[in-house]
Amino acid sequence: MSDVAHADGHHDVHEGTGIDNRKLGMWVFLSSEFMFFGALISNYMLFKGRDYSAFMPTGQSVLLPRGLYDIPFTSVSSFVLLMSSLTMVLAHDALVSGDQNRTRVWLAATGMLGSVFIGGQVFEFTEFVQQGMTISSNPAASAFFMLTGFHGAHVFFGILMLLSLYGISKRQGGLTEVQGLNVELVGLYWHFVDIIWIVIFTIVYLIP
Amino acid sequence: MAEEHALAHPTPRQYAQIAILLAFLTAIEVSLYYLEQSIDAFTTSVSAPLLILLAVMKFVIVVGWFMHLRFEKSLVSKFFTTGFVAAIVLYVAVLFALGAIVLT
Repeated sequence: MSDVAHADGHHDVHEGTGIDNRKLGMWVFLSSEFMFFGALISNYMLFKGRDYSAFMPTGQSVLLPRGLYDIPFTSVSSFVLLMSSLTMVLAHDALVSGDQNRTRVWLAATGMLGSVFIGGQVFEFTEFVQQGMTISSNPAASAFFMLTGFHGAHVFFGILMLLSLYGISKRQGGLTEVQGLNVELVGLYWHFVDIIWIVIFTIVYLIP
Repeated sequence: MAEEHALAHPTPRQYAQIAILLAFLTAIEVSLYYLEQSIDAFTTSVSAPLLILLAVMKFVIVVGWFMHLRFEKSLVSKFFTTGFVAAIVLYVAVLFALGAIVLT
Protein backbone atom coordinates (compact mmCIF):
# COMPACT_ATOMS: atom_id res chain seq x y z
CA MET A 1 0.00 0.00 0.00
CA SER A 2 3.06 2.22 0.12
CA ASP A 3 2.46 3.24 -3.49
CA VAL A 4 -1.11 4.42 -2.96
CA ALA A 5 -1.15 7.57 -0.95
CA HIS A 6 0.40 9.11 2.09
CA ALA A 7 -1.27 8.82 5.45
CA ASP A 8 -2.33 12.47 5.35
CA GLY A 9 -4.29 11.92 2.16
CA HIS A 10 -2.04 13.93 -0.11
CA HIS A 11 0.44 13.04 -2.79
CA ASP A 12 3.96 14.03 -3.73
CA VAL A 13 2.99 15.09 -7.25
CA HIS A 14 2.95 18.88 -7.15
CA GLU A 15 3.05 21.48 -9.85
CA GLY A 16 3.87 25.19 -9.85
CA THR A 17 0.94 25.98 -7.57
CA GLY A 18 1.89 23.33 -5.01
CA ILE A 19 -1.30 21.46 -5.89
CA ASP A 20 -1.59 18.58 -8.32
CA ASN A 21 -2.82 20.02 -11.61
CA ARG A 22 -5.53 17.37 -11.98
CA LYS A 23 -6.91 18.19 -8.56
CA LEU A 24 -6.80 21.92 -9.21
CA GLY A 25 -8.44 21.27 -12.58
CA MET A 26 -11.26 19.37 -10.89
CA TRP A 27 -11.87 22.24 -8.45
CA VAL A 28 -11.95 24.75 -11.33
CA PHE A 29 -14.32 22.48 -13.28
CA LEU A 30 -16.64 22.18 -10.28
CA SER A 31 -16.49 25.95 -9.82
CA SER A 32 -17.62 26.39 -13.43
CA GLU A 33 -20.48 23.96 -12.82
CA PHE A 34 -22.04 26.54 -10.50
CA MET A 35 -22.72 28.64 -13.61
CA PHE A 36 -24.31 25.66 -15.36
CA PHE A 37 -26.63 24.68 -12.52
CA GLY A 38 -27.20 28.34 -11.61
CA ALA A 39 -28.67 28.86 -15.09
CA LEU A 40 -30.98 25.85 -14.72
CA ILE A 41 -32.12 26.82 -11.21
CA SER A 42 -32.73 30.43 -12.30
CA ASN A 43 -34.68 29.16 -15.29
CA TYR A 44 -36.93 27.15 -12.97
CA MET A 45 -37.39 30.07 -10.55
CA LEU A 46 -38.33 32.31 -13.45
CA PHE A 47 -41.11 30.06 -14.72
CA LYS A 48 -42.42 28.25 -11.63
CA GLY A 49 -44.84 30.91 -10.39
CA ARG A 50 -46.40 32.00 -13.66
CA ASP A 51 -49.97 31.48 -14.76
CA TYR A 52 -50.24 29.32 -17.87
CA SER A 53 -54.02 28.83 -17.86
CA ALA A 54 -54.50 31.20 -20.81
CA PHE A 55 -52.40 28.88 -22.97
CA MET A 56 -54.35 25.72 -22.07
CA PRO A 57 -57.25 24.26 -24.11
CA THR A 58 -60.67 25.00 -22.59
CA GLY A 59 -61.45 22.88 -19.57
CA GLN A 60 -57.92 21.58 -19.23
CA SER A 61 -56.08 22.49 -16.03
CA VAL A 62 -52.41 23.46 -15.76
CA LEU A 63 -50.23 20.79 -14.15
CA LEU A 64 -47.30 22.44 -12.37
CA PRO A 65 -44.45 20.56 -10.68
CA ARG A 66 -45.33 22.12 -7.29
CA GLY A 67 -48.76 20.50 -7.29
CA LEU A 68 -47.31 17.03 -7.86
CA TYR A 69 -44.36 16.89 -5.47
CA ASP A 70 -44.18 13.99 -3.04
CA ILE A 71 -42.13 15.66 -0.29
CA PRO A 72 -41.75 12.58 1.97
CA PHE A 73 -40.45 10.56 -0.97
CA THR A 74 -38.05 13.30 -2.12
CA SER A 75 -36.88 13.80 1.49
CA VAL A 76 -35.86 10.13 1.64
CA SER A 77 -34.06 10.49 -1.72
CA SER A 78 -32.21 13.54 -0.37
CA PHE A 79 -31.24 11.60 2.73
CA VAL A 80 -29.91 8.74 0.58
CA LEU A 81 -27.77 11.13 -1.48
CA LEU A 82 -26.45 12.81 1.68
CA MET A 83 -25.46 9.43 3.11
CA SER A 84 -23.70 8.57 -0.16
CA SER A 85 -21.41 11.52 0.56
CA LEU A 86 -20.55 9.84 3.86
CA THR A 87 -19.74 6.51 2.18
CA MET A 88 -17.67 8.36 -0.46
CA VAL A 89 -15.56 10.12 2.14
CA LEU A 90 -15.16 6.81 4.01
CA ALA A 91 -13.90 5.20 0.76
CA HIS A 92 -11.26 7.90 0.47
CA ASP A 93 -10.37 7.57 4.14
CA ALA A 94 -10.01 3.78 3.77
CA LEU A 95 -7.70 4.26 0.78
CA VAL A 96 -5.53 6.72 2.70
CA SER A 97 -5.38 4.14 5.53
CA GLY A 98 -4.21 1.56 3.02
CA ASP A 99 -7.25 -0.69 3.37
CA GLN A 100 -8.06 -1.67 -0.23
CA ASN A 101 -10.93 -4.01 0.68
CA ARG A 102 -12.72 -1.39 2.73
CA THR A 103 -12.16 1.13 -0.08
CA ARG A 104 -13.97 -1.18 -2.50
CA VAL A 105 -16.83 -1.75 -0.04
CA TRP A 106 -17.41 1.98 0.41
CA LEU A 107 -17.06 2.70 -3.32
CA ALA A 108 -19.70 0.03 -4.02
CA ALA A 109 -21.93 1.41 -1.25
CA THR A 110 -21.67 4.91 -2.73
CA GLY A 111 -22.56 3.61 -6.17
CA MET A 112 -25.52 1.71 -4.75
CA LEU A 113 -26.86 4.72 -2.86
CA GLY A 114 -26.45 6.80 -6.01
CA SER A 115 -28.40 4.15 -7.93
CA VAL A 116 -31.19 4.27 -5.34
CA PHE A 117 -31.34 8.05 -5.80
CA ILE A 118 -31.50 7.68 -9.61
CA GLY A 119 -34.19 5.00 -9.22
CA GLY A 120 -36.21 7.41 -7.10
CA GLN A 121 -35.86 10.11 -9.72
CA VAL A 122 -36.99 7.76 -12.49
CA PHE A 123 -39.99 6.79 -10.33
CA GLU A 124 -40.81 10.47 -9.71
CA PHE A 125 -40.56 11.36 -13.41
CA THR A 126 -42.74 8.37 -14.32
CA GLU A 127 -45.36 9.43 -11.78
CA PHE A 128 -45.41 12.98 -13.14
CA VAL A 129 -45.78 11.82 -16.73
CA GLN A 130 -48.57 9.40 -15.77
CA GLN A 131 -50.39 12.27 -14.07
CA GLY A 132 -50.11 14.29 -17.28
CA MET A 133 -47.11 16.56 -16.71
CA THR A 134 -44.45 16.06 -19.38
CA ILE A 135 -41.42 18.11 -20.37
CA SER A 136 -43.53 19.91 -22.98
CA SER A 137 -46.60 20.59 -20.79
CA ASN A 138 -45.58 24.14 -19.83
CA PRO A 139 -42.37 26.17 -19.27
CA ALA A 140 -42.34 25.39 -15.51
CA ALA A 141 -42.51 21.64 -16.15
CA SER A 142 -39.87 21.95 -18.85
CA ALA A 143 -37.55 23.87 -16.48
CA PHE A 144 -38.16 21.28 -13.73
CA PHE A 145 -37.33 18.28 -15.93
CA MET A 146 -34.28 20.05 -17.37
CA LEU A 147 -32.89 20.92 -13.92
CA THR A 148 -33.52 17.64 -12.13
CA GLY A 149 -32.75 15.63 -15.27
CA PHE A 150 -29.32 17.22 -15.72
CA HIS A 151 -28.61 16.67 -12.03
CA GLY A 152 -29.61 13.03 -12.41
CA ALA A 153 -27.32 12.74 -15.45
CA HIS A 154 -24.47 14.03 -13.29
CA VAL A 155 -25.26 11.41 -10.62
CA PHE A 156 -25.39 8.71 -13.30
CA PHE A 157 -21.98 9.78 -14.64
CA GLY A 158 -20.65 9.70 -11.07
CA ILE A 159 -21.91 6.13 -10.64
CA LEU A 160 -20.08 5.10 -13.82
CA MET A 161 -16.84 6.58 -12.45
CA LEU A 162 -17.34 4.81 -9.11
CA LEU A 163 -17.97 1.49 -10.85
CA SER A 164 -14.85 2.01 -12.96
CA LEU A 165 -12.73 2.58 -9.84
CA TYR A 166 -14.31 -0.45 -8.18
CA GLY A 167 -13.63 -2.62 -11.24
CA ILE A 168 -10.01 -1.47 -11.56
CA SER A 169 -9.39 -2.05 -7.86
CA LYS A 170 -11.00 -5.50 -7.98
CA ARG A 171 -9.03 -6.57 -11.05
CA GLN A 172 -5.67 -5.26 -9.86
CA GLY A 173 -6.16 -6.16 -6.20
CA GLY A 174 -5.86 -2.49 -5.22
CA LEU A 175 -5.44 1.03 -6.51
CA THR A 176 -2.05 2.57 -7.29
CA GLU A 177 -1.09 6.08 -6.19
CA VAL A 178 -2.31 7.65 -9.44
CA GLN A 179 -5.59 5.73 -9.24
CA GLY A 180 -5.79 6.72 -5.58
CA LEU A 181 -5.86 10.36 -6.61
CA ASN A 182 -8.70 9.44 -8.96
CA VAL A 183 -10.72 8.34 -5.92
CA GLU A 184 -10.20 11.79 -4.45
CA LEU A 185 -11.21 13.48 -7.74
CA VAL A 186 -14.32 11.31 -8.13
CA GLY A 187 -15.09 12.06 -4.48
CA LEU A 188 -14.91 15.81 -5.12
CA TYR A 189 -17.28 15.39 -8.07
CA TRP A 190 -19.64 13.23 -6.02
CA HIS A 191 -19.81 15.68 -3.12
CA PHE A 192 -20.40 18.51 -5.58
CA VAL A 193 -23.40 16.65 -7.02
CA ASP A 194 -24.62 16.33 -3.43
CA ILE A 195 -24.32 20.07 -2.67
CA ILE A 196 -26.17 20.91 -5.88
CA TRP A 197 -28.99 18.64 -4.69
CA ILE A 198 -28.99 20.41 -1.31
CA VAL A 199 -29.73 23.64 -3.20
CA ILE A 200 -32.29 22.04 -5.55
CA PHE A 201 -34.14 20.32 -2.69
CA THR A 202 -34.52 23.62 -0.83
CA ILE A 203 -35.26 26.00 -3.71
CA VAL A 204 -37.30 23.72 -5.95
CA TYR A 205 -39.11 21.43 -3.51
CA LEU A 206 -39.37 23.14 -0.12
CA ILE A 207 -39.74 26.87 -0.80
CA PRO A 208 -43.14 27.67 -2.37
CA MET B 1 2.78 22.48 2.59
CA ALA B 2 2.49 23.74 6.14
CA GLU B 3 -0.67 25.63 5.24
CA GLU B 4 -2.19 22.53 3.67
CA HIS B 5 -1.44 20.25 6.61
CA ALA B 6 -2.25 22.68 9.41
CA LEU B 7 -5.56 20.90 10.20
CA ALA B 8 -6.02 17.18 10.70
CA HIS B 9 -8.63 15.44 8.56
CA PRO B 10 -11.64 14.07 10.47
CA THR B 11 -11.69 10.44 11.56
CA PRO B 12 -14.35 7.99 10.25
CA ARG B 13 -16.23 8.48 13.53
CA GLN B 14 -16.23 12.25 13.03
CA TYR B 15 -17.39 11.81 9.43
CA ALA B 16 -20.33 9.75 10.74
CA GLN B 17 -21.14 12.49 13.27
CA ILE B 18 -21.09 15.08 10.47
CA ALA B 19 -23.46 12.89 8.43
CA ILE B 20 -25.84 12.64 11.42
CA LEU B 21 -25.76 16.44 11.71
CA LEU B 22 -26.59 16.74 8.00
CA ALA B 23 -29.49 14.30 8.39
CA PHE B 24 -30.73 16.29 11.39
CA LEU B 25 -30.61 19.56 9.43
CA THR B 26 -32.54 17.89 6.59
CA ALA B 27 -35.18 16.74 9.08
CA ILE B 28 -35.54 20.34 10.33
CA GLU B 29 -35.92 21.53 6.72
CA VAL B 30 -38.73 19.06 6.04
CA SER B 31 -40.39 19.99 9.36
CA LEU B 32 -40.30 23.67 8.37
CA TYR B 33 -41.99 22.78 5.09
CA TYR B 34 -44.86 21.08 6.91
CA LEU B 35 -45.10 23.89 9.47
CA GLU B 36 -45.47 26.34 6.60
CA GLN B 37 -48.19 24.14 5.10
CA SER B 38 -50.19 23.74 8.31
CA ILE B 39 -49.79 26.95 10.33
CA ASP B 40 -51.17 30.16 8.84
CA ALA B 41 -48.89 32.45 10.85
CA PHE B 42 -45.85 30.54 9.61
CA THR B 43 -45.71 32.18 6.19
CA THR B 44 -43.26 31.73 3.34
CA SER B 45 -41.54 34.98 4.34
CA VAL B 46 -40.69 33.29 7.65
CA SER B 47 -39.89 29.77 6.42
CA ALA B 48 -37.94 30.67 3.25
CA PRO B 49 -35.05 32.50 5.01
CA LEU B 50 -34.81 29.64 7.54
CA LEU B 51 -34.76 27.03 4.78
CA ILE B 52 -32.08 28.96 2.89
CA LEU B 53 -30.03 29.28 6.10
CA LEU B 54 -30.25 25.51 6.69
CA ALA B 55 -29.28 24.79 3.08
CA VAL B 56 -26.27 27.11 3.41
CA MET B 57 -25.22 25.30 6.61
CA LYS B 58 -25.44 21.90 4.87
CA PHE B 59 -23.59 23.29 1.85
CA VAL B 60 -20.74 24.64 4.01
CA ILE B 61 -20.46 21.40 6.01
CA VAL B 62 -20.24 19.20 2.89
CA VAL B 63 -17.79 21.51 1.10
CA GLY B 64 -15.67 22.15 4.19
CA TRP B 65 -15.45 18.68 5.69
CA PHE B 66 -16.44 16.09 3.09
CA MET B 67 -14.73 17.91 0.19
CA HIS B 68 -11.89 18.91 2.57
CA LEU B 69 -11.88 22.51 1.34
CA ARG B 70 -10.98 23.80 4.80
CA PHE B 71 -7.87 21.60 4.71
CA GLU B 72 -6.80 22.70 1.22
CA LYS B 73 -4.53 25.53 0.14
CA SER B 74 -6.16 28.94 -0.09
CA LEU B 75 -5.75 28.94 -3.89
CA VAL B 76 -8.28 26.12 -4.16
CA SER B 77 -10.74 28.00 -1.95
CA LYS B 78 -10.32 31.12 -4.07
CA PHE B 79 -11.04 29.27 -7.32
CA PHE B 80 -14.06 27.48 -5.90
CA THR B 81 -15.51 30.46 -4.05
CA THR B 82 -15.06 32.75 -7.04
CA GLY B 83 -17.17 30.48 -9.24
CA PHE B 84 -19.85 30.15 -6.58
CA VAL B 85 -20.06 33.87 -5.75
CA ALA B 86 -19.97 34.86 -9.43
CA ALA B 87 -22.86 32.50 -10.20
CA ILE B 88 -24.91 33.76 -7.22
CA VAL B 89 -24.35 37.45 -8.11
CA LEU B 90 -25.09 36.90 -11.79
CA TYR B 91 -28.28 34.89 -11.38
CA VAL B 92 -29.71 36.88 -8.46
CA ALA B 93 -29.22 40.03 -10.57
CA VAL B 94 -30.92 38.36 -13.55
CA LEU B 95 -33.84 37.13 -11.41
CA PHE B 96 -34.27 40.60 -9.88
CA ALA B 97 -34.22 42.19 -13.32
CA LEU B 98 -36.83 39.75 -14.64
CA GLY B 99 -39.05 40.10 -11.57
CA ALA B 100 -38.67 36.53 -10.30
CA ILE B 101 -37.32 37.81 -6.97
CA VAL B 102 -39.26 40.62 -5.31
CA LEU B 103 -38.36 42.23 -2.01
CA THR B 104 -41.46 42.69 0.15
